[in-house]
Amino acid sequence: MENKNNYKGWLYLLPAIILIVVFTIYPIINTFYISFLKDYNYATGASTGFTLDNYGVILGFTEFPSNITGKGQVEAFLRYALPNTMLITFITVPISIIFSLIVAVALNSIKALQKFFQTVFFTPYVTNIIAIGMVFGVLFSQNGLINDIFNLDISWLPSAGGETTYFHAMVVLCIELIWYEMPFKILVFIGGLQNIDKQYYEAARVDSTPTIKKFWKITVPLLSPQILYISITSFIDGFKEYQAIAGLFNARGTSPLSYNLYTVVYFIYDQIQTGGRNINYACAAAIVLFLIILLFTFLQYLVSKKRVVY
Amino acid sequence: MEILIKNLSKIFKGDPKKSIEDTIAVDNVTIDMKDNELVGILGPSGCGKSTTLYMIAGLKEPSNGEIWFDNEEVTNLASEKRGIGFVFQNYALYPHMNVYKNISFPLTNLKVEAYKKENKIESLVLENKLLENIKELNEVIISSSIKNKISKERAILFLIDKYIISPSFAKRLYSYKLFLIEDNTLLNNRVKEIKEDNLKEIENIKEKYLRKDIKIDEEFYLVDRNNERIKERRRLSKDEIDLMVREVARLVQIEDQLDKKPKELSGGQQQRVAIARALVKKPRVLLLDEPLSNLDARLRIKTREEIKRIQKETGITTVFVTHDQEEAMSICDEIVVMNQGKVMQSGKPIDIYKNPNNLFVAKFLGTPPINVFKGLIKEDGIYVDNEKVSSLKNNDYINKEVYVGIRPEGFILNENDEDLGISLRVKEITLNGKDTTLTLEHDSFLGEEIKIVVDSDLALSIATYRFKVKENKMFVFDKESEERISIE
Repeated sequence: MENKNNYKGWLYLLPAIILIVVFTIYPIINTFYISFLKDYNYATGASTGFTLDNYGVILGFTEFPSNITGKGQVEAFLRYALPNTMLITFITVPISIIFSLIVAVALNSIKALQKFFQTVFFTPYVTNIIAIGMVFGVLFSQNGLINDIFNLDISWLPSAGGETTYFHAMVVLCIELIWYEMPFKILVFIGGLQNIDKQYYEAARVDSTPTIKKFWKITVPLLSPQILYISITSFIDGFKEYQAIAGLFNARGTSPLSYNLYTVVYFIYDQIQTGGRNINYACAAAIVLFLIILLFTFLQYLVSKKRVVY
Repeated sequence: MEILIKNLSKIFKGDPKKSIEDTIAVDNVTIDMKDNELVGILGPSGCGKSTTLYMIAGLKEPSNGEIWFDNEEVTNLASEKRGIGFVFQNYALYPHMNVYKNISFPLTNLKVEAYKKENKIESLVLENKLLENIKELNEVIISSSIKNKISKERAILFLIDKYIISPSFAKRLYSYKLFLIEDNTLLNNRVKEIKEDNLKEIENIKEKYLRKDIKIDEEFYLVDRNNERIKERRRLSKDEIDLMVREVARLVQIEDQLDKKPKELSGGQQQRVAIARALVKKPRVLLLDEPLSNLDARLRIKTREEIKRIQKETGITTVFVTHDQEEAMSICDEIVVMNQGKVMQSGKPIDIYKNPNNLFVAKFLGTPPINVFKGLIKEDGIYVDNEKVSSLKNNDYINKEVYVGIRPEGFILNENDEDLGISLRVKEITLNGKDTTLTLEHDSFLGEEIKIVVDSDLALSIATYRFKVKENKMFVFDKESEERISIE
């Protein structure tokens, strides 16, 4: 093929490439590098060689070094941050996908008020998650609307006054996340649904196909490219969950000294905020998170090869 | 089954606010389609033919009128309960299912009311029968081998095809591996053993039923103590579905494509799959919406013959919609010509061609199309531009202008007739082999160019000739209503 004008193309790409290299590629490599450094000093950049201890410490294989502080916090990675992240992802992502699919199919089948409901369901998308967290905080407060309506007296959220349980806090978090994650999914699903030829449904109708069967045998397979796209992106988002927790709880645990509401990204941010003292653990955690995301994306890709029809 | 459509109308409501008027897609249509016939609804696009078909299918609701299937009114019956097979214009094959699944899909929804049958005994008896001729059985399996290797899947397919049996039965036959036993005595002993086992099993099953006071008759149906067959309502079994799918696949000749996805098939094959899917549940009516419009010219001719063949073989009343008059003329027992939502004429294709009711029908049928001239009826006959073309006339139309339509094959070269004839200038001569198509000009002609078909033996050049007109190929129409005028 022609090669002579290649440099022109590269020139046009240069601004984007520079930005990506400076703000994405270099940090990735650097993170990877730091995660293997021994006694890394954030201020001077000095280290005493390479080690696997950073991974060992956060994953619980190696004892936390006695000469620095923050033992409890670092140990919370394996104890709370990883399990919480998994829990949040595996509960909220499937549920919100299923709900979104149902809402999208329902919206697609009505004519009157379709645009109105579409807007209603889309509002969370344009709202800031921190603001939503505050609203949920009010709704689920001890004398808030939810307790009022269902006639309960539950302390849902960790607040200055009351004591809450891990279970209640997680329930509220999951509800908020499912609700917050739905709009974009609904949007994508409706787009996909409107691309499905109506004749498939007419053909199914002539063949007296029950509604449920139409959904499973026609809608879901024909929507599978969108479902795959949504599930991959939402699993990645789920693994990176941080903002919602910060917005909703404004706390790391149900009691002041606990870290039981940690997630992986929350842990990483906290380690960075130690003033660089424990940044090597943040880097190791980031790489662990990266590998987890890679693994799950790959798994979904494998499943998709069998199940997705284009 | 006979389909009767009475005063059927479909009005798409407009929006008075946006000053969109109501659209009358189908206007008071009455058609009688007889049993076992292939009926073509023919018309230009937007004439309401597809809408009519969709209303017969129950996929669109009529605004007015009735639809009857034999003696049952189905006007308000849901589509799924009408027992129809529908072939969509772009086939609507499910892209994620292979051909087999596409065809079997309607069957998986079907519930049948059937007599209860003891399939186990039936297959055991049949197995014993097949084992009688163990040589043939082994030959079938061995004939499936490729390069002396026998694969299980292929052998089972061969057995299914040969004996028309269910997959599970074929699997069982194969699993005895009798083709591996070379020694004749050993083989016969083994066959005898299997047969005896089967007989024992049959006795066991019969005994079990006897305890419940149920007998099994010679066709393997269960019979209660009053000697009546026991009925049940159930879904079709996998084996039954398999038999039906393969039967219909053989009918439309796609039995070797069953594992492919629709995408991997050619247009003609997709069409066959669509027809197979519509036929597999043995519908009362088969409806086809522009079935040939997505095919290329050669395939179109082949497929329309195929549709005719399938229709004759199954004897299902078939309605198909098309805008191609040649297609409709060539295969239909009956055609219905529609225009602007109304039925213009219906009847046997050749009758309509020979006796069009109005100018529209005359123009719509026939290739090349009919040639229409401005004419005048005088006391002594019909004139086109001061030339008398016929001495026939209609006394009510003396000195009135009319349209004169002459079929392309209605012209005879006749320079000598002083009295009757029409002079036409030849512009172009196209030789088709068996005949010759002439493109001509005339000042009173309506439209672009006159096309006529003459004998290929005539030696013609670019000049003006005088033609005589065959009277049975000439039709006269009222200038206002465009209705046919009788002439004598």
